Amino acid sequence: MANEATTLRNIVAAFTDFLTVAIHTILYERAIYPQTSFLSARKYNFAVRQNRHPKVCGWINDAVSAVETELLKGTVERVAIVIFTKDNQPVERFMLDVSRFPTATIADLDTPLERKSAEGDKVPILPKVDMEEQFRATLSRLANCGSTLRPPPEGCTFTVAIELKSVGQAPVAHPQPWMPVEATEQDGADDKVQKRTVPVRAVSAGEMMLECWIEESAVAD
Amino acid sequence: MAQEYTEYLAINVLNEQQLVSYRSLSRALKVHSNLAKQMLYEFHRKQNAKRPGSVHATYLITGTRRPESPSQTNGAHSQEDGGDTVMQSSPPLPGSSAPQHEEDAEEPVSVRSVLLVKEEHLEQAKATFESITGIHIYSLQANGLSDVQSLTECNRKITASYASEDPLQAWKQYGTIQNPNVKRRTQRRGPPPPAPVAKAAEPKTKPLAPTTKPTVLERQASKESKASQESKPASKPTSKPSSAKATPEPAKKPATVKRQDSDIFKSFAKGRAKPKKQDSQSSAEATTPAAAEPEDEPMGGFSDEDDDAEDGAADIDEVPQEPEGKSKKEREADLQAMMDQEDEIMEDAAEAIPDKTAAEEDEGAIDRPVSRQAEEPAKETVTVENGRRRGRRRVMKKKTVKDEDGYLVTKEEAAWESFSEDEPAPKKLKTAPATSTNKPTAAGKKGAAKAGQGNIMSFFSKK
Repeated sequence: MANEATTLRNIVAAFTDFLTVAIHTILYERAIYPQTSFLSARKYNFAVRQNRHPKVCGWINDAVSAVETELLKGTVERVAIVIFTKDNQPVERFMLDVSRFPTATIADLDTPLERKSAEGDKVPILPKVDMEEQFRATLSRLANCGSTLRPPPEGCTFTVAIELKSVGQAPVAHPQPWMPVEATEQDGADDKVQKRTVPVRAVSAGEMMLECWIEESAVAD
Repeated sequence: MAQEYTEYLAINVLNEQQLVSYRSLSRALKVHSNLAKQMLYEFHRKQNAKRPGSVHATYLITGTRRPESPSQTNGAHSQEDGGDTVMQSSPPLPGSSAPQHEEDAEEPVSVRSVLLVKEEHLEQAKATFESITGIHIYSLQANGLSDVQSLTECNRKITASYASEDPLQAWKQYGTIQNPNVKRRTQRRGPPPPAPVAKAAEPKTKPLAPTTKPTVLERQASKESKASQESKPASKPTSKPSSAKATPEPAKKPATVKRQDSDIFKSFAKGRAKPKKQDSQSSAEATTPAAAEPEDEPMGGFSDEDDDAEDGAADIDEVPQEPEGKSKKEREADLQAMMDQEDEIMEDAAEAIPDKTAAEEDEGAIDRPVSRQAEEPAKETVTVENGRRRGRRRVMKKKTVKDEDGYLVTKEEAAWESFSEDEPAPKKLKTAPATSTNKPTAAGKKGAAKAGQGNIMSFFSKK
């Protein structure tokens, strides 16, 4: 990894790997699917849970590749994994802030990235070991979040959402992997909906800079 | 002391919300594991007295499970009622597996189990036990443990952070189980270290794994550093000193001599390419330098001894003792003489090997560190399938580069390669007598013929 030049594509690929594992972990923790349907796997030298159902895995892979497409365009600000109740009320959101990713035009997607420190020496773009360690820590925190959060109500479902930056175009072309949703007023109306934010971890390894936190709404009770 | 652990646990469990197992606590505070377990218990009790439910514990129960109905037990795996158990250890007593389902009469099968339970399931789990031989806290966490397998992370962290400690000394401090028959591979034959008393900790296989791992690394270290006298700069992160001096005190902290390039030497000797085998015949090496011969011979001698010894004594059983007539001092002197001899050759051929002076200083020290990084494969692997040996091994490859003055310089470099050769090779090696007084040359040629493809010895083989 040190020899080959890291491109934006590599960064996004590393992130999507992490996102896939994170989704599986969240599904396990919040018991969206029965916990017996998960098998133990290993990622980043860490024991993680992976769902076995082919449709579930397929859905997650599709969602993650749609996120990847948007990430390559550089329009994504945040990725959210939202847990809904049966009545489509969001219970909690697992947020991943990716606004700090480097952006590049389509032509530059495969251009090697380089960053020089103040002294002029090369700074590693994607230090693999460091990044893995931080991913491992984030997953470990996510895995234990199930105990800090309130247990979700029965029959919850989940989805993946992305919040876009103000610049750029929304992906509403045909075929449409994404469903446009209007921005809710939640940030303003604090009196109606009480939100609790639980920080998880921030990852900062070379160019891979992201933050992870959990937003809980009081609707659950 | 009391303050330390409270502080440590408060920081890690409460503030950082990490998982702390008794093992990580004992390594961090350098205390015995049993003491660490007590610390965990105390902390748990105090914190929950102050604020109930602030600290959760996972318990480890060892004991004999109550016999279950025949329909459930099927020999190897019997599911736990609680559904949250992770570990099943020892298999049921023989005689219970097969006929179980056939017989109507219930055979009282006692299963000795080791069980990890969360604290909420503790009473329930205890009820399934007929008699409990041991129970202690395994880990503490701030909130409940959602996934038991996240406990594996504790052990990984331990091996990562504390890899530099020598388990043969650390076991006493931490209370890991020690196998009395285990001994570090030494270069010189001497009285084996006295059998340490095995600690009566609960049956955990993990401590054994770390002890065997360093022995493997040790063997590899001693193998490399057999007779080469160059010392690589001490830039390796995990330096495991290997005690070649078999002194009565196993706890002696050996000094470190870095002899990295015996691999290079070996190819020098007879063009052989089997550097990383274990060295059990350290005495052999010590004796052979006494012979006054060209550089090749002693090197060849070592390699051969190693090969024969390695395969013959692979079970670590009977390594014939070096005749005690040769005193330690004499051996050291011989080694020293050899070291001085070998220096010149190494200068030309080897890559940058800075301090040879360190080699001379270390005359007394027969110990060398494991200079391999943890990531590098520790051993050559050999698998036998379908009558062919396959595997990976280190070979010396020659690289010719042009110097700045325009001279061509040939350097030796160690590289890993996969090899595959016919089965008969290992058998031949094993039959070679594993004594210390081999004829170096003949055996060397034979040995080389097995290992190498494309080395000089192939010229001599197949006679």
